[in-house]
Amino acid sequence: MTSWRPTPALVRSCLLALGGVSGGIVLGQEVLVVLAAPFVVLAAMGLAGRPRRSPRLVARLDHHRLHEGQGTTSRLEVDDLAGVEHVTRVAARAVHVATSPTYGTVGSLVDEGLPGVAFSPRRWGRRAVGAERVALTSAWAGWRFGPVPLPENSLVVLPQTAPYDTRAEVPQPDGLVGRHRSRRLGSGTELEGIRPFAPGDRLKRITWPVSLRTGELHVVTTRAEQDAGVWLVVDGLRDIGVSGGIDGHASTLDLTVRAAAALAEHHVRTGDRVGLLVVAANGARVPLGSGPRHLQRLQGTLARVRTEARSTPPERLDLGAGAGSVVHVLSPMLFTPLVTATAGLQRSGASVVVVDTLGDALTAPDGADRLALPSLAARMQRIERDDRLRRLAALGTPVVPWRGPGTLDTVLHQLARRAQVPKVRA
Amino acid sequence: MRVLRPGVTATVVALRALLLVLPCAALALALPEVPHGTVLAGVVVSAAAWAWLPDHAVGVVPLAIVAGWWAAHGVVDWRVLVVGALLVAAHVAATVVSYGPATLPVDRRLARRWSARGLLALVPLPVTWLAVRGLDPGAAPSWLWLAAAATTVAMLLLTARLVRPGPA
Repeated sequence: MTSWRPTPALVRSCLLALGGVSGGIVLGQEVLVVLAAPFVVLAAMGLAGRPRRSPRLVARLDHHRLHEGQGTTSRLEVDDLAGVEHVTRVAARAVHVATSPTYGTVGSLVDEGLPGVAFSPRRWGRRAVGAERVALTSAWAGWRFGPVPLPENSLVVLPQTAPYDTRAEVPQPDGLVGRHRSRRLGSGTELEGIRPFAPGDRLKRITWPVSLRTGELHVVTTRAEQDAGVWLVVDGLRDIGVSGGIDGHASTLDLTVRAAAALAEHHVRTGDRVGLLVVAANGARVPLGSGPRHLQRLQGTLARVRTEARSTPPERLDLGAGAGSVVHVLSPMLFTPLVTATAGLQRSGASVVVVDTLGDALTAPDGADRLALPSLAARMQRIERDDRLRRLAALGTPVVPWRGPGTLDTVLHQLARRAQVPKVRA
Repeated sequence: MRVLRPGVTATVVALRALLLVLPCAALALALPEVPHGTVLAGVVVSAAAWAWLPDHAVGVVPLAIVAGWWAAHGVVDWRVLVVGALLVAAHVAATVVSYGPATLPVDRRLARRWSARGLLALVPLPVTWLAVRGLDPGAAPSWLWLAAAATTVAMLLLTARLVRPGPA
């Protein structure tokens, strides 16, 4: 149980004051009385400043859901500050969380307001912040309440949405509404052409200038606009490389999750339906959906991805995706079964694009011994992976390294052209 | 080369250094008379421990040894005033750095407030010093000593009552 206790400073003052005065009187040492006199004042003031009630301390975070790099403040609430002069807070260090002040230690006089501690998560995921010890000190540093340990708060850190945009259209939009230009004619706004009026055409489609010039009624035809089903397959089987948060190097899982977040945000804003399949120890599947709430659900699912050494890659990817869906497989492609499963998706008729998120994780640092065992192992792994990706590309699945904006422009254009080529089905 | 531990500011280090230096300086005022080796070692070791742990009861040891040594030698000249000021300064420095761990920067407003309190605490020092020098203990009536003893006992009892842990 926490209560107000005398500080070592008060104990020191009391011992020196009482010892000096009593020693001076009993032993006749008047110098002791002289030297103890200041401590009588300090002891008396410290003793007199004892607060009467034990306050209740609560620390709250301003936000519980943030993106990487954003910040929040932990604010302390004390129900009774009577007699309290100074507040000290010492926050525990948390992995991938920057603290301000840097070492999480802050103190201030109560009349300046209670001190706050700012936290800024530097990596996506679930972070526990706010565990701290708080001490209250009375006037003249006579009494101390605590240090009181306060529990930590859970903070969901969503991946930073890397700037991403593309002007390429989804190859085979198949929905009812959306911003992608359809191959079919419909009631969109994109001009397809002008043709003579036919029974059944809407009157508002008549183009009067052309009709007057030719002497025959003509109507404007437009293309329908449709949305597309986009699946994101996130490989969270392994995390290669060391993550330095948003300020440092990115591990493969960092690249994968951030790229997935960027693609999800882009497609949801475009009006597409986006689904997510996480291939990891705690695999998750988010069905196709659209809208801001769905985007939040996707980002929350991405923030919960975690790797586990025992997790095994799946033999097949069961998305339930139709032939018109586009599947982005975000992976460093280090496992043959995952490559096989991706090829299976391609064979099922979906437009599959592999986004390579290996980055420079297997690249030996400058000055490293190229003949050392770790370097050799990394090179061998890279050669095997590159071979797998070449075979995958030979099957018709484009593989592009993640480069942020415009990463998918070229391959999506090519896929769209391929989708327009007439096919002969057996 | 990093001299300080990460997060420890130079001000905190300077204040902790004062905890070692000030009690030693208060003893050094006795020069050319050199205190006994045990006293010297006791002050240096306990002051070093106090500098390491400013928020610990060990801080009373160097102050008590210094005050006891000066009392044992019966010196009532100007040096007692300086010794008293040095001991109070050491106490104030320890108090300022004891508000938190070593990574807690010293709050300027808090330091100013404690400087003022230190000066206020020094007010009785010259008064008692003048009283000790100007008054003859032999001429004092006997009841004065009884009253002083009773007051001291009352102070002891009151302190014991006040520092007793209260309800949580």
